[in-house]
Amino acid sequence: MESKRKNVLHQVLSIRGMGQVVTVSAGLLVLCVIFGALNPNFYSGRNIANLLRQIAPFIIVGIGQSYVLITGNIDLSIGSVLGMSCMISATLMTKGVNPWAASLITMIACIMVGFINGGLVSGFKLPPFIATLGTMTVARGIAQLVNNNMNTDAIGESANGFRNFFYYGKTLSLYNTVWVALALWLVFNFILSQTKVGRHIYAIGSNIEAAKLSGVNTAVTTTIAYIVSAFCAGVTGLITCATGGLGTMDAGTSYELYAVAASVIGGVSTLGGQGILLGTIVGACVWGVMQNGLQFVGAPVALRNIVIGIIVIVSVLADVIVRSGKGKKSITRFLGVSLKIK
Amino acid sequence: MADYIVELLNVTKIFPGVKALDNVSFNLKAGEILALLGENGAGKSTLMKVLSGVYTKDSGLIKVFGEIVEGLTPKKAQDLGIAIIHQELNMCSHLSVAENIFLGREIVRNGILAQKEMNAEAKKILDSLSLDIDPETIVGTLPVSKQQMVEIAKALSTNAKILIMDEPTSALTAKEIEELFKIIRKLRDEGRGIVYISHRLEELRYIVDRVTILRDGQFIKTMDFKDTDMREIISLMVGRDIKEKYPRIECGVRKKIFEVKNLNAGRMVRNINLELYEGEIVGIAGLMGAGRTETSRAIFGADPKDSGEIWLHGRKVTINSPADAIREGIVVVPEDRKKYGLCTKLSIKNNISLPNLNRLIMFLGYINKKQENIMSQTAVDNLKIKLTSADANADSLSGGNQQKVVVGKWLANNSKIIIFDEPTRGIDVAAKVEIYNIMNQLKRQGIGVLFISSELPEILGISDRIIVMCDGRITGEMLASEATQDKILELATKFETKLA
Repeated sequence: MESKRKNVLHQVLSIRGMGQVVTVSAGLLVLCVIFGALNPNFYSGRNIANLLRQIAPFIIVGIGQSYVLITGNIDLSIGSVLGMSCMISATLMTKGVNPWAASLITMIACIMVGFINGGLVSGFKLPPFIATLGTMTVARGIAQLVNNNMNTDAIGESANGFRNFFYYGKTLSLYNTVWVALALWLVFNFILSQTKVGRHIYAIGSNIEAAKLSGVNTAVTTTIAYIVSAFCAGVTGLITCATGGLGTMDAGTSYELYAVAASVIGGVSTLGGQGILLGTIVGACVWGVMQNGLQFVGAPVALRNIVIGIIVIVSVLADVIVRSGKGKKSITRFLGVSLKIK
Repeated sequence: MADYIVELLNVTKIFPGVKALDNVSFNLKAGEILALLGENGAGKSTLMKVLSGVYTKDSGLIKVFGEIVEGLTPKKAQDLGIAIIHQELNMCSHLSVAENIFLGREIVRNGILAQKEMNAEAKKILDSLSLDIDPETIVGTLPVSKQQMVEIAKALSTNAKILIMDEPTSALTAKEIEELFKIIRKLRDEGRGIVYISHRLEELRYIVDRVTILRDGQFIKTMDFKDTDMREIISLMVGRDIKEKYPRIECGVRKKIFEVKNLNAGRMVRNINLELYEGEIVGIAGLMGAGRTETSRAIFGADPKDSGEIWLHGRKVTINSPADAIREGIVVVPEDRKKYGLCTKLSIKNNISLPNLNRLIMFLGYINKKQENIMSQTAVDNLKIKLTSADANADSLSGGNQQKVVVGKWLANNSKIIIFDEPTRGIDVAAKVEIYNIMNQLKRQGIGVLFISSELPEILGISDRIIVMCDGRITGEMLASEATQDKILELATKFETKLA
């Protein structure tokens, strides 16, 4: 029994990328202890429930960005697609369209952005930074266009079911938003870790040439990653719409960067080929806990931004140092280089 | 002993878990070319990195020009006149020749780069090497051989007295190698000490004065080159006699299994016709840039074809992408395994299964991990891949074992035709023999083997039939039993006469 348990533990720890997840989870625990000590209300059932609901959107956009990052690319259009989703769905609902039909139409529009991103990057070989910077601007423009450059009116009572599903409702004492995030995570984690498409995503991120010469259809696989990213951004846009009960044109601003943060804090490499979605959840939790916790202890917004930014840098730096296996050396090398520049 | 410009005494360097250098002693005289030999992992590179300050020794003594040196750093080594020319060229390909030569030591006048002065200075150094290169050329536009020369010029511009060259010829053609040797001899005659590291033992006799042999991190022997021979050197390197440097088996040629008809793909693949019979290895010889790799890529569908047909077992097959070729069982073991062959951040197991995932899928794309383990274990056993765990990253393996992983993924695919493109480049003697044995094993199983190599001895030693290419065309074909190095070279340099 004892040895069997050890064996399972050993197996879990030997999963690639698990090391970083364990380290970050420990960090997350420390954060929770600190915030709890500063304000015991942090642990109140209400705050925990709210906190988890706040984290859910970070998890969802983080999943999408992780997919793209693991292929060795980046998706800067996430925030704008989120805004577009929020505006399209809300506009349709205020015009009397059934909320679920509106959601479906919205998701189709979002997926098309993902398809275009994938086509530009894998088909036309545009640098992903540029391609998605372009679609980011276009998608934001669409968000502004759909309701004539105005935020929408309230989506009304006919959308109460929709709002309950994505935001207000609770199932088994957890907000539905959290369930949506967990469901998406289960599906996309399965695809990434257990299926052929997932394996191809890692292979492309590790060495696109070798993957191509091994028969991997790199264009299709890259496009799938971008579609997943746009899909996740679209769902988050629906959540945002349900949250506010209206469409706001600047919804989702900077979310692409939050998504990068959740991914890299959780150990996804921006160079591709490495990282697991479990890390993305933990990374999103760190992100959410920092935001919520700092707010809870009364830190001003400016300070919050600075602290969170530093956390992103430190977590990536720690990863670099651990991965090179010789922290001291990379620091001396860094100093040596900077001395030379002088 | 005053004439030693470098002396390393009992140097030890320990990495976590490995004694990379174990009490190694080494010396170099002014005005000599010393070959530092050993298999991969013997400690040659580590030793030279200790000497050039990249690694810090754990114990031992370093003397340069008779003075004991402590706390060596790359900068300090450079100031002492030690320059290292790496196997992978360390050049900024978007900068000019002069900018590269003076990189990190730019001449600055009143806070402004003295561009003209540096160009003139660079020109002077290039002239001293009798190199006709404009210092303002962008390095990336030069052929590799010229880039190598620029790297040497860069070393000389620091007034280096001790030059370390790591595999300088691996990417050069015969003619370029000759030019390089001329320069190396000139540098020696000017009184510099040169450490020459190479796996190509055949070329040593043209330049080397003395050899020092390492094995498993230990010093084995140092001797004058004229007092030894290849056999002795190899047996000292591997620690045993390699009787069969090129093991050959006879199978008896049977039916035709593979044919390429009138294949064209750009300038480097012109009207290629070749046939492959069961039970033979066909070698494709030629100089670097003869179009051999391009031909293999066109057959494999990695590059588009302009025209041509491919026949497998008497059936015409359509190949428009590597995926098509893999489905038909026609595969390539590419020349640069790190760049084209392996996903180095993925595990060994995942690399082996990558092209074979379709056979491991149960439902909805779900990969059967048990079957995957079996597939990987079979490949590891069949090819005797030495590893600690199949879950380790592919780049944790030595060069020879990495190559075997690439072969392994194609064997798991039940491939029928395997094209090996320079499979033995940069791997040590013993690993080379293992690769030859694998090719022989495939030949015995009736798998067609095309063997591209720039090393004539191994082409002659392993192939049954040899095709020679030059300038994108096949210029000749012969049985290995009738082939000689001279014959092949003549065909390999049969360029088209350009009429005025």
